[in-house]
Amino acid sequence: MTGRTMLFDIEDASVRIFNWRNLRHIDWFLPLVVIILAVIGWATMYSAVRSSDIIYFRRQIIFFFLGAAIALTIACIDYRVLVSLAPVMYVGSVLLLLAVLFMGTRVKGSERWLVMGPFRVQPSEITKLVVVFSLTWYLVAIGDRVRKLPYFLLAFVITGVPILLILAQPNLGTALSLAPLTLAMLFVAGCRIRHLAVIFLLGVSGMPLLWWQMKDFDPELDRPQLATSSESAAESTAPRRSLFELRYHQKKRIYTFLHPETDIRDSGWHTYQSRITIGSGGISGKGYLQGTQTRLNYLPEHRTDFIFSLLAEERGFVGAVVLLGLFASLLLRGLMYARDCPEMSGTLLATGVVTILAFHVFVNIAITTGLMPVTGLPLPFLSYGGSFYMTTMTCIGVLLSIPIRRGMFIS
Amino acid sequence: MTGMRKPQRYEGVERRVQFAAIVLAASFLVLCAQLWNLQVVSQSRFQAMAEDNRVWPKRLKADRGVIYGRGNVVLADNRASTDIVFVPGECPKDRREEVVATLTRLLGVSREELDAKIEAHRREPFTQILVKRDVTKADRIRVEEHSYMLPGVLSVAHPQRRYLYGKTAGQILGYLGEIGPEELKTWTGYYMGDLIGRDGLEMMYEDLLRGRDGHMLVTKYASGRPQLRTDKRGVPYIAQRDSRGNILVEEGRRQEPLPGNPLYLTLDIALQEKCEALLAGEQGAIVVLEADTGAVLALASSPGYDPSVFVNRGHRNERLELLSNAKPNRMLNRCFRENYPPGSLYKVVLAAAALEEGVITPETTFFCPGHYQINNQGRRWACWRKGGHGNMNVVEALAFSCDVFFYNVGMRLGVDKISEWSRKMGLGEKTGIDLPGEVAGLIPDREWKAQLFADRPVWERNWYPGETVNLSIGQGSCSTTPLQNAVMMACIINGGHRVRPHLNRLADPMRSERLFSDRTYETVVKGLRMCVEKGPPAPTGTGYRAQVPGMTVLGKTGTAQIMSLAHHAQFKSEEDIPYAMRDHAWFVAGVLDREPRIAICILIEHGHHGGAVASPYAKEIIEFFYAHNEQFQREDAGLDTIARRGEH
Repeated sequence: MTGRTMLFDIEDASVRIFNWRNLRHIDWFLPLVVIILAVIGWATMYSAVRSSDIIYFRRQIIFFFLGAAIALTIACIDYRVLVSLAPVMYVGSVLLLLAVLFMGTRVKGSERWLVMGPFRVQPSEITKLVVVFSLTWYLVAIGDRVRKLPYFLLAFVITGVPILLILAQPNLGTALSLAPLTLAMLFVAGCRIRHLAVIFLLGVSGMPLLWWQMKDFDPELDRPQLATSSESAAESTAPRRSLFELRYHQKKRIYTFLHPETDIRDSGWHTYQSRITIGSGGISGKGYLQGTQTRLNYLPEHRTDFIFSLLAEERGFVGAVVLLGLFASLLLRGLMYARDCPEMSGTLLATGVVTILAFHVFVNIAITTGLMPVTGLPLPFLSYGGSFYMTTMTCIGVLLSIPIRRGMFIS
Repeated sequence: MTGMRKPQRYEGVERRVQFAAIVLAASFLVLCAQLWNLQVVSQSRFQAMAEDNRVWPKRLKADRGVIYGRGNVVLADNRASTDIVFVPGECPKDRREEVVATLTRLLGVSREELDAKIEAHRREPFTQILVKRDVTKADRIRVEEHSYMLPGVLSVAHPQRRYLYGKTAGQILGYLGEIGPEELKTWTGYYMGDLIGRDGLEMMYEDLLRGRDGHMLVTKYASGRPQLRTDKRGVPYIAQRDSRGNILVEEGRRQEPLPGNPLYLTLDIALQEKCEALLAGEQGAIVVLEADTGAVLALASSPGYDPSVFVNRGHRNERLELLSNAKPNRMLNRCFRENYPPGSLYKVVLAAAALEEGVITPETTFFCPGHYQINNQGRRWACWRKGGHGNMNVVEALAFSCDVFFYNVGMRLGVDKISEWSRKMGLGEKTGIDLPGEVAGLIPDREWKAQLFADRPVWERNWYPGETVNLSIGQGSCSTTPLQNAVMMACIINGGHRVRPHLNRLADPMRSERLFSDRTYETVVKGLRMCVEKGPPAPTGTGYRAQVPGMTVLGKTGTAQIMSLAHHAQFKSEEDIPYAMRDHAWFVAGVLDREPRIAICILIEHGHHGGAVASPYAKEIIEFFYAHNEQFQREDAGLDTIARRGEH
């Protein structure tokens, strides 16, 4: 027996790899929320870039339609086929990540981009989804053996390889997003709570390790000597205390988070101004296109990672909570699919995809409101970025494809 | 077979998914709580911070108050100082080279320096790069004429102090200098780069003269410094671009600056000019006071300086020279910042004190044989006239400046009474003039000596009668300023009131109680009048050169010795004595029968005899002053009422 027979019921003759008629069974709630979010995203983007680079607004609209096409296409594909292809995707994405390390383009001190002709792609974005598919494939394959420790641990090996490769770029945010994904999928796959608890405790015990890294850190004293040109340039030459030592800019971000007052002009500037931006919005906001913090360039990265602050400034607490509500309804709907899907791979896929999206929404807003240290993590539908928009829409497509096939299992 | 298993779900998977949903909802609630915290609880604080981000209060500097002299003459005001600036962002890139070349040609600035400045602001192309500071009118017009070939070049004006009389009264007006880090810490309302009064009236009346700055609110971008343009008088007429090229808009209402209060002086600038002219080439000081009020009419000190060099273009070498310790010190106001032994001027104090204390009467005479010995034994103190004056009463002693008479008087008074009366009449104490840096001088007494030599044996701490003898003619440790001697003279002229010299016309004049009786007053005045009499028929006094026909002039000469008479004998003639060792020449004078009554004190450093050198100046000053006084008084009367009304 091959792996494929584990996924497909051979007798089920109705399986078709691609069937556009699937769209007739689509759950319209999800696309509706997505369209509302996309429109909010456009409006916010317009406010962010109208005075300087209107091109980003136009591109964001194009991204949505491209993404919508991708989402609908994926919705027509039987997700079980995609799951069965997971090993191939996994190997491919690891190769891409290696390629980035050796031939990537540096942006803001980290190698994240791969230039392929006219396109620039971030393999780490693709990796998130690939890891979801790979874990699904793996967890379905092992079934209830997930309760055994070796099988349980092997899941971490599967996510560990891309995490290390992404950390090497370095891209802490994306790498960290893979950890809750793994935990959530193992949890839903039915692993022992005991095992999860141990892993969680290990994570907590990682805190002293972090403390050990940070205890002597002083942003002034430890500044790399050649930092005049760019921090990252000097980092490669700076001696590291061990293989796992955090880099200067990572340490500094954690330090800034712990001591925001020491560094208003540098990393802390982001958090500081973002909090002012959000806080000054008040209950009802300053009004659309009236955000002074954005117009006068006080809010940094206001079309990418900090676009939520702009929305909160112009639309106030009410607008921000409405946005959170939309995201919550989208994600909870996704978890509903996970609950109602009669077979395991759909449940796991939905859980994984929802975790990815939820992680981005939660951490991004937590960063803008000053609950977490600054790390580059975009907000779905609002932040500018083609790769990420495609990832988001692919996630939506996968989610859509799950309830479509529900009827097939009723027998 | 496990491989054949249908991918059915295990029991309880729904509960686990539901648990995940609960975790998700809870984490979103955390976000909502944080948003509530930021946007509702702390809204006002963050709103204020955002507002602080949004606008830039651009300071509009207030003009400094104008300083008027006697008769409403403007002594210091403000002019528009024009800087030529270049904004690279407003000049097409291909023309930049040509513009720099033209600027170099028109203004004579260094091309390399300009290029370096432009290069330094490459990332902030809308920075106003200073090409030349405080240009002349000719320069400004030349740039304006060529404006068609100078895109991006403009002139920016701001108010700057102007001293209309240049060097005249320069030491009194003082000068402006940039505020230091210490003052920045403690003074409120000042900013880096502000000019503050560093000396003289500018320093003394800093609080009065500085205006209240206004401000305009200008849009403020996260990067880029705001810069304004100003019209030819320094008024910002439009908010421009900041250094990054963002358009600035004026937000809200502008608060106009309030210029500083005017300062009205008693100083008679014409008389001041005259006095400084008299002192030209000498080192010395002339003080002219209104005897009844203490109002300062002239306060000349030579050599002086022009305070404009501290605010105007160029003059760098002169500034450096002034601030170095070059001799003679031109920033030193010799009227009240330098001590001199009073010499024979001191006899006026002694005469008044002795008469008032009753140790002599107007009829008391002492015989002057040309020298004096305590109890006719021991050291001999010489009289300046080797042959002696014979029998002298107090009036004659003042007129002929007989040393021996006052040796006797001093011994009768004792050191305690002498120092007490000196201080009463204003010597050895700060006069309280409204100028900074006044020195007190020194009138020695027992206490002073005991303190000075506290670590020496007792015989060195004691006061000896010989010292009283020295003190009696204003020699020894005794030192005074010309201003103090003018106050002392004013005290005689106004009948015994010590006055506080002041320059601010609106300050209330302060007078002491009357210090001595009519009899004392008449006797001393008689002696001082006789001093300027020229015989025959009257005997010729030491200060006869100060006599002005038709006026009642008082005078007293003084010669403050630098070295002892024994040394004098080494030199054949006075011209042989080295400059630094020559005596100081003193003359105090006064006019009784004119309004206002004035008191004059003249000091010429190393000028030999007061009678010969200093007293002719007194005559010129008196004649000059009363010749054009009437017109001043008329104008002043009107102005004072205006000024006083404005004050209240």
